[in-house]
Formats: sequence, C-alpha cells, structure tokens
Amino acid sequence: MEINELKHCLIIDDDTDDQEIFLMCLKKVSDNIDGKTANSGVDAIKMLNSDQAYIPDYIFLDVNMPKMNGIDCLKQLRSIDRLKNTKIFMYSTTSESAVVKQSKGLGANDFIKKPSKTKELKEKLSAIFNIVSKIDPTN
Amino acid sequence: MTLNTEQHSANRLKARSDLYQKMIEEIEDYAIILMDENGIIQNWNKGAQKIKGYTDQEIIGKHFSIFYLPEDLAVQLPQKLMEQARSNGKAGQEGWRKRKDGTRFWGSITITAIHDEEHNVIGYSKVTRDLTDKKVAEDELRMSEERYHQMIAEVQDYAIILLSPQGIIENWNIGAEKIKGYTAAEVIGKKFEMFYTPEDRAINLPDKLLARAKEEGKAVQEGWRVRKDGTRFWGTIVITALHGKDGRIIGFSKVTRDLTAQKLAEEKVNAYYAELELQNSELEQFAYVASHDLQEPLRKIQTFAELIQENYSDEEFVKRYFEKLESSAQRMAELVKSLLDYSRLSKDKEKDKDKSNLSEVDLNEIVDEVKQDFELLIEDKKAVIISEPLPTLSGNRMQLGQLFSNMVSNSLKFSKTNPIIRMSSTIVNKSQIPDAPDTLADKKYYQILFEDNGIGFEQQYDKIIFSLFQRLHGKQDYAGTGIGLALCKKIVDNHKGMITAVSEPDKGAKFYVYLPVNSN
Repeated sequence: MEINELKHCLIIDDDTDDQEIFLMCLKKVSDNIDGKTANSGVDAIKMLNSDQAYIPDYIFLDVNMPKMNGIDCLKQLRSIDRLKNTKIFMYSTTSESAVVKQSKGLGANDFIKKPSKTKELKEKLSAIFNIVSKIDPTN
Repeated sequence: MTLNTEQHSANRLKARSDLYQKMIEEIEDYAIILMDENGIIQNWNKGAQKIKGYTDQEIIGKHFSIFYLPEDLAVQLPQKLMEQARSNGKAGQEGWRKRKDGTRFWGSITITAIHDEEHNVIGYSKVTRDLTDKKVAEDELRMSEERYHQMIAEVQDYAIILLSPQGIIENWNIGAEKIKGYTAAEVIGKKFEMFYTPEDRAINLPDKLLARAKEEGKAVQEGWRVRKDGTRFWGTIVITALHGKDGRIIGFSKVTRDLTAQKLAEEKVNAYYAELELQNSELEQFAYVASHDLQEPLRKIQTFAELIQENYSDEEFVKRYFEKLESSAQRMAELVKSLLDYSRLSKDKEKDKDKSNLSEVDLNEIVDEVKQDFELLIEDKKAVIISEPLPTLSGNRMQLGQLFSNMVSNSLKFSKTNPIIRMSSTIVNKSQIPDAPDTLADKKYYQILFEDNGIGFEQQYDKIIFSLFQRLHGKQDYAGTGIGLALCKKIVDNHKGMITAVSEPDKGAKFYVYLPVNSN
C-alpha cells in the first residue's frame, strides 16, 4: 500500500546529521512524502510565517535545541491556527517522562525517541503514515 | 461645800484611783512597771508577770536592768534609756530581752518619766509589749526575701533584670553581667533598649515587647542582641509584667538566655542542608543532561555504523559516513573530558573549604600561559589578545587558569575574522555591580572584563549561556559541548564571586568576572 496523496513533513532539528538520516528514512518509506527541514525552532516559525500557504501534515520536532527549545517551539506551533490538523511528534534522544507528559499536555500527538537503528525509525514512520513499507523489510 | 460632800468627793476619788490601779494590774498584754528615779521596780502588773515570768515578790525592789541581755548591759543600754527618758520625757526601743527562765522575747519598750509638781523626776513608767511572734515572722520574711534576692543575683546562666514600668533598668544580676558585659553600675537607671540592635530599635521592638507584656502578661521573643563590646548574641527573652495589689503595673521582669552557640549550630546545620539540597539538585540536573548529551553521539555512532554496513559498496557514502562517525566519537570524547572537568570542580570545592587549594595567583601569569596554550589557534585566526595589568589575588590557581582559558577559548570560537580580545581590571564595591544578588558578600571586588569583537548574542540569553549544556548555536555552526561557560560560572561561584555578560548580536560580547579583593 502506498500513500495516495502527497504528505508534507517538516523536520525541525538543529542536528543536520539527524535531519539527513530522517529524510533518508522518509524516502525509503514512501516516494509520496515531501520532507522540509528547519535548523531551529526560530527558523521553523519564520518559515511558516513567511509562507502562509505551507501547511505541513506532520511536524517532527527535536526537544533539545539552542535558543528556542522544542517545548517552546511546540507552544508557538500550536498557536498557529492553520496547523490545527497538523500532527506534531516530539523527537528526541532521551524520552524523560516529565518532558513526554509536558509535551503531550501542550498538544504534541506523540513522543518518539530517536532510535539508533534506521530500521526502527522506518517502522515508526510507516506506522504513523499508516502504510506497509514499500521496501524490503530486511533492508 | 459641806464636810459630808468633801468626804463623799474624797471617797469617789479614791474609788476611781483604785479602779485605775486595778485596770493597770489586770492588763495582760502589756507589762506595765513603775520604777523609782533610780530604776528600782516599785510596782508590776499581771502583764509583766506573764511576759517576764517573775512574781511580785521576786521582782519588786530589783533594778529593771535584770531584763537586759549581757551584751546590752555591756553598752549600758538600761542607763542610756533612762537618761533619755529623763531628758526627753520618754524613750522608746525595740530589742531582745530576757525572761526569768533565760529565754528571750522581743520587746517593744516605752519608758516615760514621772514628774512631781516642781517638775522633778520622781520615777518612771515602763510599758513593754511582747512582739516576739511578729519579730520572728518578720525576720523569716526578711530572710526569705534576702535568699530570694541572692538567688536571682547569683544566677549565672540567665540575665534577670528588673525594669520600671517605663523600661528603666532597676536591678541587674551576675548572669546579666556575664551575658551582656555591663556591670550593674553601668546600666542601672538606663533604658533596656540599649541591648537591642539598631535595626530592632528602628522598628521600636523594645517598646513593642513592653506593650505586649503589658497587654498579655508576658512577651516572648528570640533575636540578636548587642553586648557592651558591640558583639552580638542570640537571646531568647521573656518579659513579664509585674502587678501591684491594685492590679496596676509596677514594673517588668526580663529574663534573657544566651543561646548563641545553639543558634550558630542550627544555622550551620541549615547551611549544610541548603548546600546538600543544592548539590543534590545540581547532581540530578547533571545526571539528566549528561545522559542526554552523551547518548546523542553514541546513538549517532550506532546509526552511522548501520548505514555504512548497509551501503558498503558505495565508496563515497562509506567515506562520508566514516567521517561523521569519527566526528561523533570525537564529540563524545570532548564531552567526557568536559564532564570530568566540571565534576572535578565540585571535589575542589570541598578542598577549598580548608583552603589547601588556595594560593596567591598572579593573573598576568595566567594570561601568559593561556596565550601559549592557544598559540596556534591565535595565529590561525589572526587573533589579537590585549591584556592590561591584572591583579594578584587569593584563589585556586588551577581553576583560575581554566576560567581564563575558557573565556579566551569562547571568544576565539564565537568570532568571525581577526578576533580582538581585551582583558582589563578595576576595583568596584558590591553596590556598583548590576543585579548583584543578596547572597553576594558586601565587599570590594576585582571587576575583570573580557571584551571581544565576536558574533555576540541577544541579551535575553545572558543567563542561559552559563547553564550546563545550553548552547545558542547549532552544533554544525560552532563546535562545543555547552559546558565551557557553565564551568566558568562554577569557578567564579567557588571563588564567591559572580559573572555576567552584556552583548548584542554582531556587536561583540563583554563578560564581567567579579572576584573578591580579599577572599576572607
């Protein structure tokens, strides 16, 4: 099964390695996904403010970022009216329960711990997009 | 007047005189004695017999000095009293007298001279009352009062003071002298507010305590008080209102105990507790961020290794990801080293307490060493480091070295082209330090300014930059672990100083380090 219509994903992460790995996994999960990146919460808000037509379906938001952290960014994202149907996933190296609870309270749909294996990330993304991975499960 | 009436009148007079004689004879509570002009007893009533124990036969014809004690006889008291009665008409005295059986009684005596028509003394009357019971009761009361007074006077552990209704000191014991340092002569007549601190006097605490004691019967308070030599002691005080029989306040008692030792011990325990709490919360924060920041490169190493395996045939990919893998490992090593540096500071802090780590440190020498350490980087970046003469101060040499190293490294890192780093020092008072916290001691500080022409930062981040693992820039833009400035802050804290930063983006940054001029 494939995604029928194009899905827009925004990845907000100050770590460009993590951005790269994430985009790589997205591509493996489906061709019908448009992945955009922002290097910080500040950049992401700027980007969303300057392009009012852009409505991401999914936002993956790193927690530990310089200046504006993921939690503060989440608050701002949830105050943008056109993003009310956007699913926001927190995305972090550690998943401390207090932070998980706080982010869900502030409107995050779920909390994903950054896995050390790309296979795990691909499975997570497939589940989120409700698709069976097009790729060979051994890969 | 007829003879008959004369006779009748004489009879009536005789009858009255007999009655009078009878009355005197029958009085039991007073010894009434008639003496001739030489003090020889002529007459004696029932009261005299009862009080002194002699019968008429035994006493009439004896000199009245028979009732006196040997010590009174030795000073010729009977003669003196008689002499006094002769010249003044009467003599009064109270004293111990002797009964027939040798026991004593306390007599109140009045000797009155009896005169003839020519005003010659022809005898004396002596009226004696036995006041032994009253005397004994009075003596007991007086002794009890004396003992009580002495007890208060000699209590050493409590200052017990008697105050007038206006708060004037009227009495002072040894305990008061011991605790407050004044002798009785120095304080009696003065107001008790002299023992209060200027702060407490400013809020009228002494008067308020008296008012409370007046209203509620007593006032209890604990607080710092001032001794004669100006030193302070922690007193626990009870002021009690003293009431007269009519219910009016006749004064106050003030009992003070010196609990300075207990108070200081309590404060010490509280300080340890606060320190422990701080260390605990620091440790928790440390453990959390340390695990997060250490896991990050570790996770990436695992991911990169997996990707290299998956794309083994793609030479370009493998080369690129091996580089990434190596830089993650490098970052991990840096983090571990920084964390060790940071945790070592806490250990040092313990040693600093016994001052074994402290020495006179010449900051100019430190700057020279830092310049040598960064020689290559300075050359590479074409950096200029200008240092004006810096002070020599008491501190931990290794830590101060690390402080200067981190400050210079920070300025070199967050620079664009041709960095200029300037260091200078002046002396300021605490009052001249912007936003100095209450916890900072009120003394003189060296203000050491590190000024650079680097990328700077928005002023709103002036606190966050000193927190552990907090960074203002993406890892790809500027290398670093987010520990450097946190380490600087910890070092400055260890030296009981403070660090602040002033900056604007692209306008360079100024870091102010304040270190005590005198570390004691």
